[in-house]
Formats: sequence, C-alpha cells, structure tokens
Amino acid sequence: MTNMNVVGKRVLRQDAFEKVVGGKGFPVNVRLPGMLHGKLLRSPYPHARIVRMDTARAEQMPGVKAVITPADVPQIPYNPIFFMPVTSAGLVRDMLILSDTVRFAGQPVAAIAAISAAIAEQALQMIEVDYEELPAVFDPDEATRDGAPEIHAGVKNNISDTPSFAIGDIEAGFREADHIFEGTYETPRVHTCYMEPRVCVADTDTNGHITIYSSIQHLFGLRERMAYALGLSVSQVKVVQPPYIGGGFGSKLDMVYAEPLAALLSARTRRPVRIKHTRYEDFITNARHPMKVYLKTGIRKDGTFCARYARTQCDTSAYASQGPVVIMVHAHYGLMLGYRSPHLKWEGKVVLTNNIPGGAFRGYGAPQACFAVESQIDEICEELGFDPIEFRLKNTPRRGDPHPFNPEWKLDTYALDECLARGAERIGWSQRARAGSSSSTKKRGIGMAAHPLWVSGCVGFPDIYEHSGAIIKLNVDGTANLSSATMDIGSGQNTVLCQIAAEELGLADGAVLMSPGSTDTLPFDAPTHASRGTYSSGNAVKVAAAAAKKRLLEVAAVIMEANADDLEVCNGVITVKGSPARSMSVADVVKRAESPYMVIGEQGPAPTVLEEKGTIMGLSSLAPSTNPSPAVAEFVEVEVDTETGQVKVLRAVYAHDLGRVINPAAAEGQVEGGLQQGIGFALMENMLFDPESGACLTSDFLDYKMPTAVEMPRHIESIFIESNEPSGPFGAKSLAEACLIVPAPAIANAIYNATGARIRSLPITPEKILKALGKL
Amino acid sequence: MKQLISLEVNGDRHEIAVEPDATLLEVLRDHLGLLGTKQGCDSGGCGCCTVHIGDRAVYSCMKYALSAQHQKITTIEGLGADGKLDAVQDAFVREGAVQCGYCTCGMIMTAKQLLHDDPHPDEDAIRHGIAGNLCRCTGYHKIVEAIRTAARD
Repeated sequence: MTNMNVVGKRVLRQDAFEKVVGGKGFPVNVRLPGMLHGKLLRSPYPHARIVRMDTARAEQMPGVKAVITPADVPQIPYNPIFFMPVTSAGLVRDMLILSDTVRFAGQPVAAIAAISAAIAEQALQMIEVDYEELPAVFDPDEATRDGAPEIHAGVKNNISDTPSFAIGDIEAGFREADHIFEGTYETPRVHTCYMEPRVCVADTDTNGHITIYSSIQHLFGLRERMAYALGLSVSQVKVVQPPYIGGGFGSKLDMVYAEPLAALLSARTRRPVRIKHTRYEDFITNARHPMKVYLKTGIRKDGTFCARYARTQCDTSAYASQGPVVIMVHAHYGLMLGYRSPHLKWEGKVVLTNNIPGGAFRGYGAPQACFAVESQIDEICEELGFDPIEFRLKNTPRRGDPHPFNPEWKLDTYALDECLARGAERIGWSQRARAGSSSSTKKRGIGMAAHPLWVSGCVGFPDIYEHSGAIIKLNVDGTANLSSATMDIGSGQNTVLCQIAAEELGLADGAVLMSPGSTDTLPFDAPTHASRGTYSSGNAVKVAAAAAKKRLLEVAAVIMEANADDLEVCNGVITVKGSPARSMSVADVVKRAESPYMVIGEQGPAPTVLEEKGTIMGLSSLAPSTNPSPAVAEFVEVEVDTETGQVKVLRAVYAHDLGRVINPAAAEGQVEGGLQQGIGFALMENMLFDPESGACLTSDFLDYKMPTAVEMPRHIESIFIESNEPSGPFGAKSLAEACLIVPAPAIANAIYNATGARIRSLPITPEKILKALGKL
Repeated sequence: MKQLISLEVNGDRHEIAVEPDATLLEVLRDHLGLLGTKQGCDSGGCGCCTVHIGDRAVYSCMKYALSAQHQKITTIEGLGADGKLDAVQDAFVREGAVQCGYCTCGMIMTAKQLLHDDPHPDEDAIRHGIAGNLCRCTGYHKIVEAIRTAARD
C-alpha cells in the first residue's frame, strides 16, 4: 500500500481547468435548437382547491406555444425521491405532477411554454384561477391536534408515520440510573443553497421518447421517476449526464415538478423546453426537515449510559416525500447507534403540515440528532464533572466490535479514539478554561462534539439502491477513459475515481479521464449521497480497472512472449517482474491490440496475432459487501461578544477516520465546506415564513444569511486518520457528510464554555444568547 | 419596445436589440452566448454574475444592459491571453479553490479587481473583498489561499 503513484497525491482536479474559464458543461448552459422556455404558475395559497381554471387568454398570447393544467397531466401519485425504487413499500406516493389540490404556498398549478422566458412569465398572469381556500396549519404540534385541518384525506391528525424501536427494558434502565438528564433540542428549516439553480431541458420526440438534461445528483433516479409519473416505460426516458453540476448537497435527490412538466410541454410543442428555477423557486422546492428531539438519558455513577430514550417529531411538510426515510436514518445513525446503552427506546412522529416540502440535505437527519445528543453529553459532563473525551470513549464502540447496525459487520478500522486524542491535542483541550470563567465582555470558549458512527453508502438500508458500475477503455496513446453514472456534484469525486482507476491500471496521474454518458449507455449507479462516492463508486471503478488491467497484461503477454502472471504495470510501462529490461509501454500494447489484422511492414502485409486483437477494456457493476463506519470529532474555539451576542468561530480542528485519503486537497475541501454549512446551521440559517399565508419570506440571499468568507474561521485544520479499510478502494471509507454533522453541537458547547449559556435551539442567534445571559 | 444598443465586451463590439429592462447578465448569456457569467439569484445576493465594467467588478444582474454602453466590459472569457490562463485562474486550479465551480468565475472576477486595487492584500482584505461572492462548497479557505498565491506570483 505504501508504493502508490497516484492515490494519496494532491492531484489537480480535471474539471477545474474548464471551470475557471467559464464552465461550459453546467446544465444551466444547455441550449438546444428551437428551444422554448417554460414557467410554472404557483399557488399563492398554502392549502386550496382549484375550482376553476381558464387558460384561454394565456394561450392566445403571441409567443405562447402550450399551456398545461392539472387536466392535461397523468394523475399518477408518485414519491419524488431518487434513491429508492419508486414502488417501494417504504415510500408514500402522495404527489402529483399537477393537482387540483394545493398543499403549500408555491405549489405549481399550471405550466406554460413560450418562445421566451419573459413571454412565458407574462402569460402566467393571464391564467385565471379560482381557488377555494382551505384551512392551513404550519406548526407540527398544532397539526397533530384533534380538529386540525386535514391535509391528505385519511391521514389522521396529519401523522404520516410513527416508527419506533427498543432494545432492553427502558423503564428498568432508568431505575438503574444514578442520574437522569432530560432536554428538548430543536433545529430549523435550512436550505442547501446550491449555487446552480434547478434547471432542466426536456426534448420529446414524436415517438414518445424523452431526452432530459437536468442539474441532479442521480441520473437513474430521475429516469425511473419520470417514467413512473408520466406512465411511460424507463427505456422511453434518457437522462443525459452533465460533466458536473453546480452543487447539490442533497437537494437534487428529488424529481421536481419542472422535470415532468418540461417533458409534457415538449411533447405538446414538439420542441425542446427549458425550465429554470428562480432562486425563490429553489428555496421553496425542498429544505432540511425541522426536528424537535426530546432526550432522556440515564447514567450510572461510573459515567456509563444505562438508559437512552429519545422522541423525534419531524415536520415533513406538505408531502410525505423523504420524511419517513430521513427519520429512520436520524434515529439509527444520528441518535442511537453511536453510543452504547443496554436499554434504549426511540419513538418518531412524521407530521404533515402546509409547509414547503422537506428534502435531503448533507447528513440526512443526523445533524438534527447530533445537536441533541452532543449538547446533552456536554451538559452531563459539566454537571457530573466527567471529562467529555473520556466520557465519550467510555460509551462508544471500540475497534473490532461488531457494528451496532449489523453485528455481521465488524468495526475493524474504527478510530474514534485517535480522532478524539489528536483533535484534543491540536486544539489545546487540556488548557480549556472552566465554563463561563472569563470576566471579559468578549469571552472565548472551546467546545467539541463527536459523531461516533456514520455510513459509507447504504448497504444494509432497506430498499435503498447501492450498486455502482464503471466502464474503462484504454486508448492507443496509453490513456484511458472512465465512464460511470455517478455525478460529481462538486466534491472532486470524478478526479478521485480517475486516481483510483489510474492506480489500479498502473497509469500515471492524469492518464485516466472521465467521459460522461447517459442512462442509455452507462451501467446503473446509485446517487451521489450518503457519503458513498469514493467508497462505493470507487470500488466499482477499481474492479473495472482490474478487469481492464487483466486484459492488458494478457495481450502484453502474447506480444512479449511472457506469462501474464509475470508481468506488472507501473506508470504506463509493462515489465517482466525481475527483468526490467524486458518492457513495453501500455501505449504500444494498446496500439497492437487496436491495429488492423494485416499490417503492412517492410516485407509487405503480414498478419498479426489474433489473440492480441480487440479494445482493451474492463467493466463492473456491483454493490459493496459491507458498510464501514467512519468516526469523527470536531473541536472549535469561539469568541462570544456578551454585549452584542455575536459569535465568531476562531478556529476549528476536525478529525476523521476515513480509511485512506485518495486526494488530500479534495478531502480538505470537503471538511472546509462542511464546516461552513455547519456554522450556518449553528449560528445563522433559518427559513422564515409568513404565519398567515405560509409564504416563504427568505427567498433570496439578501434574506437568507449564510457564512461569507468573513464569518469563516481563519484556521481550519483537517486531521485524517488513515486506518486502511479492507473493503474500500485502496483502504478508503467515507468522508463527505460527517463534517457538517458535528459543527453545530461543537459550537453550541463552545458557546457554553465561553459564557455558561446553554442554548438548545438552532440557530444560536445573538438574541438567544443575550436572552440566555439575561440581557434581553 | 426593444432598443438597439452597442456593447464592448472583451474587446469586441456588438450591436444588439434589447428590451430596456434587460440586465447585462441576460444580454451576456442569452444574446452574446457568453455563458461563463453565471446567474445565481438575480437579486445581487450571490456574486456568481460578477463582471468588470471598466476596472470595477459589478453584479451584472443588477445592471441594465442599456447603462453599460460606452464602457469596456470584461467577462471571464476575456481573461488570459494566447490560450493561457490568467494568474488568478491558474492559482484557483492549483490551490484546489474550485469545487462545484458555479461561483468560480464571479469569484475570479472579484479577485481580479481586488488585486488591481491592492496588489498585496492581507488576509482580512481578501476576505472582506470577496464577501459579496457566495460559495457554498469550499468554506472559502482555498479561495483565500488562491488569491494570496496569485498576489505573490
């Protein structure tokens, strides 16, 4: 493992060269000949029935080519999420492409295609709609009371789902406890704020086949849902792979209304139709589920847990969508699995309201859980005088333990202990002052949080896709093209996958290039989510590369009159092991394989060897056999101005047991960006809505505040613990999400350390701090 | 009523018929096909659409195309020469400052103006200088490093 040429190197991102000069490959740049522009008419009411809709005036407007209303749309209820089979028993199918009932302010009710976006926008105003307003409810507590408005027929008290689980006897556990802690922790509705808007171009041919370009995190998920909701078969939908998209962070794991509507408008007009969201439309498309978590924890004198009870209320909003899935990940991988307890019990409630739909967001239910769990552990340690690091180690799994989610898996490469030890040393944990001991008005504090267990993909999760595929093809110049349906949403995953392929194939850095395809040409890949790209897609790429390498050496063996088992390839050169003089370049081998059968030489045409012939390639399609968990710890130092309530994060140290760093620069980039989203979640971000109309009030970046370069700490230190996971490509497990899961509780705990004020609801605004300090 | 306007973009003069309320961003992208300038919010909140008018970095979504006549406009496509990257573009590649890349062009245009006004900015000046450009991927750390590198080289 030590002699690697490409893996572990700070390789430059392939797509960066294109992105710094304009980034022509973004879906927002797709333009097709004859393309029309679509716009969606959206309901001003949060809950209403359409009584009458008249589109005549809009249709007569010059430049308008088609108007689509609920009557023109297949009424096939679907669930929009990409990563599960659309017919899964675990999904609620309660959405329609267009419906005559609207359940949130901003839900589309009609669509228009016109020769320009401006004309389409004007024409929207010409559609006459009479609504019968229905009573709406926005607060999940109110929504579950008897007599609350019914949002979906037959869903009693708007409770979509009430999952639960228990181990042991929770009441007996609390009877054993020497101390019991209780608390309720709340997290707000926050948006991913990907920079590239949701945009799609659909082109439907007269044979009923749809080709669609869209800014999404999963090609095959869109294909499956488009086909299902439109009543087509999957082969009638082709999703074209963009080389990259402008961020996603989970939000682009749902089919949005625009995608099937663009297809329907295109079918009607026989022209390509583009629909691009405005930023307001992006904000109301989906957001992280607000959750309220009640935690009750029983502790023995020795500092071990004896009972852990939790209850979660999740506002899944107007449609069930991701809610019943996100709450399960939240409960298992957020609340319960990370810390051992002989008795535990969790009860969840997924509530429908007339708010905007909930969606996936990096961390998928875990940031809400981690804020609760890690804040409460800090409270316990403060009150009972335990060292927060020793306390965590006492209650977490150890290396070699069976995995709490599936005992058949082992935590062979688990290294929370190292994350805690190295992070603590770097931040200067031992010099941390007692909480609230500073007498200055600007108080500094240090806090930490861990997330003992996270995922590398979704193996083991019911009904969630996990397999990946790859195709690798060698070229006569000694390079290779890699194709995979995985989407690089910004992380640098494609560069990492090319590094894995190059390392396995024995090619030099930069010799493997990613080549986009489509759902017609590529093997299936699960979405870019669940921290799975490097681990799962990386495994598939490595297997495809190994197959291509096997063929390469077979051909080389024929040419070099050697045994394939005696050959090795490194940096583009094949040699006979132990005889470096007998060598041949990969390029020369591929040239022979691709040459005509009869080659004209000095003696005239002569046949080549038949066994050499054929494109040298490898392909794969497989799911990983396991799901190795990384562990992480975050340490932050903050300064709280107790006069203004402002919090500055001065420094962050993040330690992550990721198995193997494939590309250090890309890995650091994940940590730094995750911290930024975590600081936003902790201190600033919160979508606001009008309490009467349910209208979104934070609909652009002037209203929705997220960290700029000024709010970010000057010092961000990433510590990567390389534990060499045997099931992962070159020892890698996952990275991308945990770095956003831990910052909020680490910051909250640091604020407590600085001021003595404990704040249990996010975001921790200056108002909340001043209130807690008795200054407001 | 459309009006015929004349814009000088990256040294080329274009005569274009535009609505009076057309933004410079719309005209660059939809009339001139200069797709490197990105639309992110249309409300002056994200900085993805930053271009130069003269030597000032401006949000092109906040500028009417009509009002940009008689001035030299530079977009990301106007940086670099002879097929080579500009020093700031090059530093963004080498420092790993590009992730999804959607903010990148606007960020580079802002960084260019920052370095024009202050060739050796300290970290605070860099951070305040790019505070009008949002990036959601990088945490800005490597962007700040890239601008420092470009200033040094």
